[in-house]
Parts: sequence; structure tokens; C-alpha cells
Amino acid sequence: MFRMMVFPDDLLYSREHTWARVDGNLVTVGLTDYGQAKLGEILNIDLPEVDTYVEQDEPFGTIESAATVTELISPVSGDVVRVNDDIADDVGIINSDPYDTGWMIVVEMTDASELDNLLDSSEYNDYVLGEEGLD
Amino acid sequence: MDRWRLIPYHKFSAFENMAIDEAIFRGNQLGQSPPTLRFYGWDPPALSVGYFQDVDQEVDVGYCRKNRVDIVRRPTGGKAVFHDRELTYSFISSEKQGPFTPGVLGTYLVISRCILKGIAGLGIAAEVAQDSPSVERVNTAHCFSFPSRYEILIAGKKVCGSAQTRANGAFLQHGSLLLCFDPAKALCAIRDRRGRVTEDTLREAVTYLGAYLPEGQTDPEYLSGVLKAGFEDILRVEFVEGRLTPEEEALRDKLLTDKYLSGQWNREGRVPAKDRIS
Repeated sequence: MFRMMVFPDDLLYSREHTWARVDGNLVTVGLTDYGQAKLGEILNIDLPEVDTYVEQDEPFGTIESAATVTELISPVSGDVVRVNDDIADDVGIINSDPYDTGWMIVVEMTDASELDNLLDSSEYNDYVLGEEGLD
Repeated sequence: MDRWRLIPYHKFSAFENMAIDEAIFRGNQLGQSPPTLRFYGWDPPALSVGYFQDVDQEVDVGYCRKNRVDIVRRPTGGKAVFHDRELTYSFISSEKQGPFTPGVLGTYLVISRCILKGIAGLGIAAEVAQDSPSVERVNTAHCFSFPSRYEILIAGKKVCGSAQTRANGAFLQHGSLLLCFDPAKALCAIRDRRGRVTEDTLREAVTYLGAYLPEGQTDPEYLSGVLKAGFEDILRVEFVEGRLTPEEEALRDKLLTDKYLSGQWNREGRVPAKDRIS
């Protein structure tokens, strides 16, 4: 399955294959290129409503691909302030454009120190190689 | 050789079956439950729907109620299955155990090879579907109306439908191997709003083991032994008969009460907040 993956330098990454784009205390969250490739063609998604409190390393939604349900894990804790409703109508953009139009939620982060638990792009790349047994 | 757990064939209600599978899955995520292969049947017959399906739109609830067909929502994805004369398996493991890889499709392929090996032991030539179905084909309520990639076919027809859920580095895959198939019954219970799935299209798309076996060889307990040998051969492990641990039994009971017997879960796909199990 492994192919050359894109992990932009300006993002942080969780070990559960979600990315975080930090802008002040607002964190945009989505699924990484590796995460979407691991799941295959995405068919359904269930995201939280605005004002839902999500916790770091806990599920914030679920996603379906190939008759498989997988939890989406939040990279940070805080209140959901925006949800990308467009992807519910076109979930395929999570596969085709995971870092831009495929974003999922924006979280108003409550504890910036949680960012220390995330990986930068180089560390995440190494983590993915390890998961694939290629390290 | 590694020794993994086998939970032998037994019939349970739809609600018990899903609670048992999820209890083992959650135990495995915590490192408390070993990799487990379980075989089971459904008593009474039941309809299971995928995690994301809309029961009100895709199931004839009135028919099911009138005919005492239980309706349960699975923790896994995929489409609706009418469970009657079939052998159901569930397999729970870490994503990184044995030959498994992190990808979803890779897991399907490994388990399909196990089942294929078992079926070959019956003298039946089966194969693995290579093509992914189009979105248009997936857009029906019936699991058996199309084969997904790496599902099992006999003579080009689907004989086993499978689905997965994954969390915290573990996966649960369960699937239905048809021993007999009545398209009329399946059509009564599952709604197809587009009217594209008919008895004829199901007959063309679906087959069952009973069509290839002498009478008397479709006993699920006998067949579960045959499939177990296929899993052992491909995974290169020994499956040792076991039972649920006390922790799994306690979790099964809690899941049964709070989730799988809950109308809110089965109809809406939600567990009441007060009953959520973390």
C-alpha cells in the first residue's frame, strides 16, 4: 500500500493519522494523506455539531470506507467552532484533497501544551514508515 | 506456533451476537483479550444493518416486526444482511498481529484467503473479487447485491459478505457465509427505494454453500471446523477452544443492556449519553 505520501511541513500530526493546522488558539483538523490511503475510498462520515467539546486522543467522529467504520481521533481538546458540512455531500474530497477542502472541524483549543504531544512532519513520516514496517 | 482463541459455534440473538463481538473487540484494544476467532448463528433470524444505514429508509420495520425478525445495528460498516441459514464468523485482532497490515483492504484479503482455504477443503473452488464496486452499485441497501473488493465468490457470485470496524490499533471483522439463500425473504425485509434489486438480480449476484455440498454437509458446526483449519493454515497459528473471560462477559452484559437492546442505537445509531461506555 505504501507510496510516496505528502505531509506538509506547516502541520502537526497525531499518531492516529489526523493533522492539525494551528492558527492562534484555533486548530483545523483533518485526516492525513496516509490516513485516507489506509482507509481507501471513503463513503460516509459523521462529524460532531458546533459547540461539542472534543478531547485530545478521543474520538470526534466516525468514517466509513470499504464496509469499515473507523473512529476519527482529535489531536487537541476544545470546543468545535466550525464543521465542514460540504464534505458530507462529497466525502470523496477527503481522499482527493485531504489537507485543503477535505478539512473536517475547527477546534478552539483549551490547552496549547497538548501540541507538544503531536509530531512534526518529519517525525510523522518516520512514524508512518514504522507502522508500515519500513523503518 | 502462536496459540489464539477460538470461541466455538453457538446460536445467539442478534443483540447478544453484536454485544459479544464488541466486548472482545474492546478487550483486545485494551490488550486484555487475545486474537479471537468466533463462529455463530442467529436465533431468531435477524436483520443487521451497517453503522451508517438509515433503518427507517432501508428496512421494512413492519415486516420484521410482524415476522419476528430482530433488527440490530452493527458496529461495523456495510449494508443490510438478512441472517437466517448462514455461518457467521468474527475475527478480532490487533492491526499488527501476524500477517495483518494497517490497511483496511489488506485485512479483508488476509481473512478472505483463510475462508477460501477452508472452502477449498470442501472441494469447492472459490475466488476473491478483485474489482472495487462502483459508487452507483454500492448505493443500495443490500449487502449481497454486489461483491466488494476481496470478498469471496463462487462461480462469480457472492457467497460471503464481510464488514469491519477499527479503533485503537485493533480491528473487528465479521461476515456471513451463506448456507442457503432465499432472495424473496431478503427483499421483504430490506427496502430498495430505487427498485433496482429484485429477486432475479439477487439470484444472479448471490450463491450459497448448500448449492455445492451434499445434503447434511451444511451443518454449521461441521463447517466452522473446516473454516478454522483454513484460518490456521493461512495465519500459521493454532486456534485453541476457549470462552469469554469474566471481564468480557461483564462488558457483553453492559453492551447488551445499554446499547444493543436500545431502540435508540438500533434505529438511530446513537447510544443515550447516560449509557455511553468509554
